[in-house]
Amino acid sequence: MHHSGLQLSTPSDSTIVLTRTFNAPRRLVWEATFTPDKMRRWMEPPPGLTMTVCECDPRVGGALTVQWKTDEADPAMTLHGVFTEVVERERAVHTETMVLPTGETIGKLVETHEFAEKDNVTTMRITQTYDAKEARDGAIASGMDEGMEACYERLEALITDRA
Amino acid sequence: MPPRVCLIVPRTRLDTTRVGLDIVEPFGIINHMVLDRSPKLDRVFHALAHPARRAIIRQLSGGERNLSELASPLRMTFPAATKHVRVLERAMLVRRRIVGREHVCRLSAEPLKDAMLWTEEFHQHWEARFDALDTLLDEMKSEEVRPRRR
Repeated sequence: MHHSGLQLSTPSDSTIVLTRTFNAPRRLVWEATFTPDKMRRWMEPPPGLTMTVCECDPRVGGALTVQWKTDEADPAMTLHGVFTEVVERERAVHTETMVLPTGETIGKLVETHEFAEKDNVTTMRITQTYDAKEARDGAIASGMDEGMEACYERLEALITDRA
Repeated sequence: MPPRVCLIVPRTRLDTTRVGLDIVEPFGIINHMVLDRSPKLDRVFHALAHPARRAIIRQLSGGERNLSELASPLRMTFPAATKHVRVLERAMLVRRRIVGREHVCRLSAEPLKDAMLWTEEFHQHWEARFDALDTLLDEMKSEEVRPRRR
């Protein structure tokens, strides 16, 4: 893994924590994180997808809605969320459900943002807690920690031999 | 924010050489969504989600082992080791053949490719976003220093 500031950790099987430091006061980091016209700037969509809707109301009960389209489908995917806990500029918790146009839910999690500032530098910590059923996302975790890293080199040889 | 379905990064950013991958086909969005929702990948991650099974993979990366060779360093009973090997077999990470009275296990690394790609992409996706956030914050800061005259 390449680490350029972003740190990933996995305190439990269903939790991924992303920590990143920004050279800005947390007032601005908060604003950039939860203001729709700012979110459009950094919430990079995957190639082929274009963000069409971005709404965010960071108050308890407020909604988070993001929608993407492709050349073939509009919408192609929608994110629905609701803020359940908000301490302005410090902490926000919201749900997140990814839905396909068919109505099928393809992912569910709770995301917590925490902001800590020191000397105009803000550390943002995002904690993603996945549905227990989403084995994959939880397990990415453990895999990332030890198993996969430890195996990389040996695997390289094995895969190459098999090719 | 969407963690599972928005993990696509430009192909060129993936350092596949590091893991000796001779692929990679051009991945489209649809492929990625398939990958995100692949039961095959679910089984691989499930298999990796237990320390004993990761230890077994590690052992097998050194070559073939029979079940009791796998069980003893784990201080595990034979049936317990068998159970873990079955989970690994279901994920196609381990192949087992029976030689006489011995069950010989062999690592089959192939399914780890997709798991590794998925993991790398998770990381890179968020890095790309946070890099963009850096740029935006710099702009916001300079706007504050020199507010626009109206």
